[in-house]
Amino acid sequence: MRIKLLLGLAVFIALLLFPLAGAEGYYYRTLSTIFLWVGLASAWNLTSGFTGYIDFGAVGYFGVGNYATALLMTRAGIPFFPSIMIGGILSGLLALFIGRYTMKLRGAYFGIATLAFAEAAKQIILEFDRTFNVRFFEGSQGITLPIAHDETFFYYTFLIVASLVVVLVFTLDRNKFGYALKAIKEAEDSAELAGIDTRRYKVSVYALTAVLIGVLGGINAYWLTYISPLDVFNVIHTINMIIMALFGGSGTVFGPVIGAFVLTIANEVIGSRLLYTWLLMLGMILLVVVVFLPRGMIGLISLKRLKR
Amino acid sequence: MVLTLQALVTGLLMGGVYAAYSSGFSLIFGVMNIVNIFHGELIMIGAFTTYWTFTLYHIDPFLALPVSIVSVGVLGYVIQRVLINRVVEAPPMISYLCTFGVHLILSNLCLLLWSADFRTVTTSYSGAGFSAGPLTIPLARLITFLIAIATTFGLYLFLEKARYGKAIRAASQDKEMARLVGIDIKRVYALTFALGAAITGLAGGLLSTYFVIYPQMGLPYTIIAFCVVVLGGMGYIPGALIGGLLLGVIQSLTATYLTSGLSVAITFILLFIILILKPQGIVGKGIVE
Repeated sequence: MRIKLLLGLAVFIALLLFPLAGAEGYYYRTLSTIFLWVGLASAWNLTSGFTGYIDFGAVGYFGVGNYATALLMTRAGIPFFPSIMIGGILSGLLALFIGRYTMKLRGAYFGIATLAFAEAAKQIILEFDRTFNVRFFEGSQGITLPIAHDETFFYYTFLIVASLVVVLVFTLDRNKFGYALKAIKEAEDSAELAGIDTRRYKVSVYALTAVLIGVLGGINAYWLTYISPLDVFNVIHTINMIIMALFGGSGTVFGPVIGAFVLTIANEVIGSRLLYTWLLMLGMILLVVVVFLPRGMIGLISLKRLKR
Repeated sequence: MVLTLQALVTGLLMGGVYAAYSSGFSLIFGVMNIVNIFHGELIMIGAFTTYWTFTLYHIDPFLALPVSIVSVGVLGYVIQRVLINRVVEAPPMISYLCTFGVHLILSNLCLLLWSADFRTVTTSYSGAGFSAGPLTIPLARLITFLIAIATTFGLYLFLEKARYGKAIRAASQDKEMARLVGIDIKRVYALTFALGAAITGLAGGLLSTYFVIYPQMGLPYTIIAFCVVVLGGMGYIPGALIGGLLLGVIQSLTATYLTSGLSVAITFILLFIILILKPQGIVGKGIVE
């Protein structure tokens, strides 16, 4: 346990000092992308990995965070940091509402309901202006944000937020809240009988995940400086979160971190050139992990240790 | 008034096709408790089969329907034997993730093979139609509707009357008992999947006669199938007919009076509301987890 903590701290300090080495912009961008996905996959894991409710609509909160920050900054002139905070809160409030109803559903029903939520959110933002003849979300044209900062600014913002997410998961993993979530995953009805208010725990963790994903979405909007519904609500983001978490080991603290790290780099190498081949490979990875490696890479490592 | 009537007719004609491919979805779910995320890809492959037989060999899409039925049916059978049978006894989330993986593989494989271009099957009768009073009824859509409705009825009759249909129903009602009376469950599962896929391939072939087709068209169709089946009741075949026609009409009315993009949003919102308020479907005969 102490080894993991020290290792985590060492990596964090090394990454904090990394910009002093004076690397090129490309490395900042790649590392920022990795931090973004570490944050997203860890946040997704908090709900889906811990409770076993596989959320197929996580990109909905990512999109809401993106749009909230973009609109607050460009329309209301609110500065960046308050904007992402408000974006996160809005995303969380929406999740409280959606989660109240979807969290009653089990298994695949939950998966498809959340998928429908995210797709509906995308279509509404896409069609709102045209239907009601206003100019608010700008439809498929998207929104352009001001360019203000260099890559190191986003490098640090992503690093700190992603680290906070991982620390949060780490803390929750070993307190009452986390145990309740795991009990829900193992045997929900028994957990209910044991006096755990399962619904309250499920909805709270779902909203917490949405806040985290919403904040990360907000940073993403300012980082990319241009967002459109087809980009930020793209179902591929949900697929990435799912596969990263499962690949690394869902329901563990560091599994999604490893999964995000490995798959983001693989995506940089293969996905940026051969997108469809990459998506094809993601499908295969998903099949292999689900059928043969249900505990992910983390499971593989600890299994080896056991054998030795 | 005429506009509303026309929207109703268009919606019903569309709904027939929804009913056909959703009945395949419902069958697979009802028997194996599997939510098949690559259902839309089966439609896409069925549609591309008629497209290629038409483009390469100039065979009329309606005559090429048997090719769609057989090829998609065989594909379904193989995927079931190789993959789904391994996870059919696992928790539903595992099979859901597996079919999601197959969705990614099939849609992107077809993208690599056929590019993302939008394609259409343009026959000599593509624009043809006749008028009934003030309404226009496109010929291809009417034929498609009739075949789709006949297929859905055929499936229902097969499950009710045929020996094999009864085996399928027995397997869906009580797996262990069916096994005890000598039904080979894995074989029934594979044939069920093949049957569900074949019907879906047929619907895909029908769709290609008047819809734009492209490799990434699948996922929205999967969600529509889910919506239809949830409306009518999961695993209840006549429900697919009711749900299909209803959704067709709702979409057509939204497309007429609001925008077509919003009709997609309406589908998702409707799915969401039904799942929460009445997960057993509007008739109340669906299976609820």
